[in-house]
Amino acid sequence: MAYVAARGGEQAIQNSEGLYRILNGDLTRQNIRAIEQHMPYLVDRVMGEGSLYAPELAALALAQTGGDLYEAVLLLRAYRSTQPRLFYALPISSEKTIVVRRISAAFKDIPGGQILGPTLDYSHRVLKLEALETDSIQEPKLETKNPAPSSYPKLTDWQREVGLLAGELEPVVQTSREVAALPDITREPPVYPAPRAQRLQALARADTGGILTLGYSNMRGYGGIHPTVNEVRLAYAEVQLEHPITGAVFSAGRVRVSSAEVVTPFSSGKTPPELSLGFAACLGWNETKLIAASMLDIAMSLPNPHPAHSEEFVLSHTEPVEASGFCIHYKLPHYVTFSSDLDRVRKAQAGGSLQPELEEVTA
Amino acid sequence: MKLEELAFARQDYAYAFLDEFAKRELRRKILKAIAIPGYQVPYASREVPMARGWGTGGLQVSLALIGQSDTVKVIDQGDDDSVNAANLRRFIARMTGVKTTTDTLAASLIQSRHRIPEEMLNERQVLVLQVPMPEILSSVQPSYALAREMHSDGDYALLWLGLYEDLVKYREVSYGADYPVLVNGRYVMAPSPIPRFDTPKLHQAAHLTLLSAGREKRLYAVPPYTNVYPLEFEDVPFQIEDQRGWVDASTGATGKFMSEIPQDGGSSSYQLSDTGLKQKLERQMTGEQVEIGATYFDDDTNFYIAGFLKGSS
Repeated sequence: MAYVAARGGEQAIQNSEGLYRILNGDLTRQNIRAIEQHMPYLVDRVMGEGSLYAPELAALALAQTGGDLYEAVLLLRAYRSTQPRLFYALPISSEKTIVVRRISAAFKDIPGGQILGPTLDYSHRVLKLEALETDSIQEPKLETKNPAPSSYPKLTDWQREVGLLAGELEPVVQTSREVAALPDITREPPVYPAPRAQRLQALARADTGGILTLGYSNMRGYGGIHPTVNEVRLAYAEVQLEHPITGAVFSAGRVRVSSAEVVTPFSSGKTPPELSLGFAACLGWNETKLIAASMLDIAMSLPNPHPAHSEEFVLSHTEPVEASGFCIHYKLPHYVTFSSDLDRVRKAQAGGSLQPELEEVTA
Repeated sequence: MKLEELAFARQDYAYAFLDEFAKRELRRKILKAIAIPGYQVPYASREVPMARGWGTGGLQVSLALIGQSDTVKVIDQGDDDSVNAANLRRFIARMTGVKTTTDTLAASLIQSRHRIPEEMLNERQVLVLQVPMPEILSSVQPSYALAREMHSDGDYALLWLGLYEDLVKYREVSYGADYPVLVNGRYVMAPSPIPRFDTPKLHQAAHLTLLSAGREKRLYAVPPYTNVYPLEFEDVPFQIEDQRGWVDASTGATGKFMSEIPQDGGSSSYQLSDTGLKQKLERQMTGEQVEIGATYFDDDTNFYIAGFLKGSS
């Protein structure tokens, strides 16, 4: 296959894309539907990092790329950037979401209760090999018993009340006009230190693997902050819009959202000490990323963070589209730059450009 | 008159792909960049249907500038037919319908990765360079936030120190391509990874050069007729690549930047890196009437501004 030196680059591109399609099969509506319905966590991850909540399009992106996550995220982002911004939704308040899972590691029980919800956390990680032999495995049906409360208080409310957490909350954005005035990372490039809104946006879109890597390095002790998971929530949230003429608030649909809060003692540096709070949230359900991200949120705010946990370092290196794109760009031809480097190497090997001058000095 | 006669036909994408708000932002940032030569202007940088690092910055600038009467040339490593150049050209043509060319003289806008054409550009042409790393200070200060402060202070001591340390250690500067240049006496700038051979072409150039890094969200400019000097010591002058004796295998051309092609048995053959020029020279050899423009370097690698290059190559 022609790469660069050969003529006919455009033909080569078409052929290589054709080969890819032959190897990976046709796109069918059935496959796309199957991905959307049966791989919700994968779809969530693509939507979260692609920062576009559109399960059908995320499933299409996955099908079209054969499940290549970075390519799928890029497809969604590139589509997103062509879409006009018609409205700003009202802020989602955590207390008003429909919570399906809500746990805290900080206390045995918390106001509102621990809700384990749907999770594989305590499942045996055993392959269900029998599924390969039968058409389907019927899971036992669960009976509905106690209706869950429609909302849960925040653990941080209690902690603020008793003086464990720093007193005042920052002013909360309430109207769609205030939302529209927030610095938007897709419209204004981040210049560090970034406004908090941009930091949280960047974390929400960040690469799960990258956030996990940096977060885990902190957990293992590189600038470690000794965090405790205050609250992890998986929920459905109404996307509420204000009617442009009547002002009436209506729901445009529900999205899956998740959030994590961690607290850590002593890291604020204040005396007497108080708890510091780290927070992260994203579209879709992605607990691993958010726990790591909320820890990094605290680590980034330290007066002297570990170099790998400074805000610029974390946010600029966990951007999935930029990081993956630049990594694969090294596949592009670099023979001009390499030739320029070789010229230097050859000259240095031959004694270097400085030689005559040195001889003058030493003569 | 009917409404449908006034309205444009329905399109899947806007003209030149980017929405008008994105184009407006880019044009404003480009104007700012032209007003402050060499200064890196942050811009939002939309995602486009190419991977980051594959020319998305150059592409956004091109898309924001291309009008329907433009003629576009896209090169990568000097080559019009390189797969990524072909891909970008295909995209630009598909989204704008403009004419494309491989002839430097026929192009009104040239998007390039890693090269400036050999034929001299004129005042009516715009060169858009794709930039991987816009921050020239990143080799000495990887934090963009701190590097920005150093630019504000005009603090380039670490770059000079790096050059000095190279000379002490290797008796040779280690910068290959992307050699740091001082623009308009104020900002030190990464000229993008063009070879040192192309660096002097930026000095007092007739054309406008726009440099854009989509991934790092920075764009900057060298306006026409602006001073661009490579960093050099008085006693250790800046040197372009030494390609003396390199002759293009098919046309016999010399004094232009060459690609080295390793041959069996340890030898090398050479090809003109500028394939647009190479094709014209080949057509000329068949007796065809071809217009070839003046070049920045003559056949003996003499730069057109006498005395600008103090070091012999």
